[in-house]
Amino acid sequence: MIRTEGASLVYWDHGREVFACREVGLEIIEGEFVGVLGPSGSGKSSLLFLLSGLKDPTSGSVFYNGISFAQQGGRERAELRLRTFGFIFQQPYLLGYLTAVENVMLGDPSAPNAADRALEVLEKLGLGDKARRRPGELSGGEKQRVCVARALFNSPRVIFADEPTASLDHAGGLHVVELLRKHRQGALVMVTHDRTMLGSADRVLMIEEGRLRELGAEERDQALSVP
Amino acid sequence: MKSSRRRTARTHPRPLAAWVFLLRNPSKSAPLVLVIILAVLLIAGIVAIMNSIPLSVKQVYGYSRHITGISARGDPSMVPRLLERLQESPAPIERTVSCRTAVFNINSIVGDWPFVLYGLSGDDTMYVVDKIGLSGLTGRLPKAGEPEAAISRPLARNLGLRIGSALLRPDDSDNFSPLTVEIVGIYESDIWFSFTSYDYLAEHHFPPVDVLLVFAPDEAAQRELDAWALEAYKGQRAYVFAYPNLEQETQESLAVLFQILNLVIGMLVLVITLMMGMLISIHLAQREGEFGLLQAIGFTRGRLIRRAVLEAALVVVAGWTLGAAAAYGVLTVVKTLVMDPKAFALNPADPAAYLYTIPVPVAIIAAAALTVWFRFRRFDPISVIERRVA
Repeated sequence: MIRTEGASLVYWDHGREVFACREVGLEIIEGEFVGVLGPSGSGKSSLLFLLSGLKDPTSGSVFYNGISFAQQGGRERAELRLRTFGFIFQQPYLLGYLTAVENVMLGDPSAPNAADRALEVLEKLGLGDKARRRPGELSGGEKQRVCVARALFNSPRVIFADEPTASLDHAGGLHVVELLRKHRQGALVMVTHDRTMLGSADRVLMIEEGRLRELGAEERDQALSVP
Repeated sequence: MKSSRRRTARTHPRPLAAWVFLLRNPSKSAPLVLVIILAVLLIAGIVAIMNSIPLSVKQVYGYSRHITGISARGDPSMVPRLLERLQESPAPIERTVSCRTAVFNINSIVGDWPFVLYGLSGDDTMYVVDKIGLSGLTGRLPKAGEPEAAISRPLARNLGLRIGSALLRPDDSDNFSPLTVEIVGIYESDIWFSFTSYDYLAEHHFPPVDVLLVFAPDEAAQRELDAWALEAYKGQRAYVFAYPNLEQETQESLAVLFQILNLVIGMLVLVITLMMGMLISIHLAQREGEFGLLQAIGFTRGRLIRRAVLEAALVVVAGWTLGAAAAYGVLTVVKTLVMDPKAFALNPADPAAYLYTIPVPVAIIAAAALTVWFRFRRFDPISVIERRVA
């Protein structure tokens, strides 16, 4: 479904070449939960931006269903992000002047019965009674759950979650991951520096200094069991 | 559950509708609207009050539409020659009235203006009264040779006069008559006019020269007569008083004033536009997080630009509409409380006043579109997401 071939992302920092991602070769298949582990600054977010077409690779290619993002215009890519992908960011980005249900509708405001469907998703995530509240009236965990609802709203084929548990306590984080795992209908790519969040992942990848590698079963068990 | 869902759909607007942000962020949108309201109010107010000057001239001297006045410039021997020349008029003449005149002052928003007290005799009096459209007399007509006058209601309001008041007095150098001329009748018409008896002015006022009031059967013929008289008496010892001349002279005398007004309004529009451009730019900067998020989750830059411009356009339209309504309201209050009691002319619905405000919304929408385009030109949603701007 999503495939990268030698995708690198380079930026310049005070005249020095920095590899955010280095020759990444990766394939994400329908419905799988892929966890990406890595310390801060290792290139986790950049990888997510490459995979979702938010950023173009400096070299190499990224394909969705066999079509390179490079072949698509900005409008097509935006359409893909809106209708096919779902996004959750580290901070619970919500528009403060919209209610929870309206924030969820942002997942695709022109969808038929958007408000009813948004309410339905919120109810599934246990936020039915908070649907009319604005973000300022919600706790951090509730806000992040609204972001999850927004990402789930359009039943996306892939959800990209960038440290979705970073702003939550451990229990809250696990709850959010569980909700994502339970209600998603497509693949889930989640980057995190918190290995305890990836217990239910189908595959776990490690990124360090922009280099990506998949953890084998033994290495994975070892990595996830370390407190 | 089903009915609750239906209720939800009805009560939730499309979240990115331009009006949603504006209505739910009054602290941001209200100051912008207020600036436009004030600008429109200021411009419409200034223009309407400026326009009240020529409007007043037309209203105060409007009776002259029905008259072509010809005076002999103080030389009584000229009068028979002027009358003789009138026979050559190609325009039909209904009646020629010989009268005497005196002048007194009326109040205007730009100081005193001269106004004529006509001295009319016999049948001429009622002919002139009918011809210029005076009606509804309270009191009576002035008696021949007596120091008495009849005036119309606007004059009475303007000068604060009533029946029994003095219109001219021996001790008033601006409104002089050797005897105190008392108001004996007031016409309830909106037309400004005043008259006394021919005999009184002939006996007590200088110069002893008749003025000819020439009447055509209708207004078209009157204009034809005006045009002919202005040419026919050119270079002679005669002065022709015609309504088209009055309009032209008024326009010419106010031309410089209106040029200055245009300059002031142009500067005002420029300042307001720059100010609005800066405010819009600041507001957009404060919303970078929102635009970054929306672009990241799949809204195109074009859609966000259109939305931002539409928001600005809504602010401008709301501001202009409310500003125009406020201007109409304020001008109506000014007319009622300040102008009407003195019978000054002011049109709160003066189209020119509102046309002058059109550059405000046009310039602000253009500035807003430019600002939005400039802001989004190199907008990178990732940088916003990575900066963790909420």
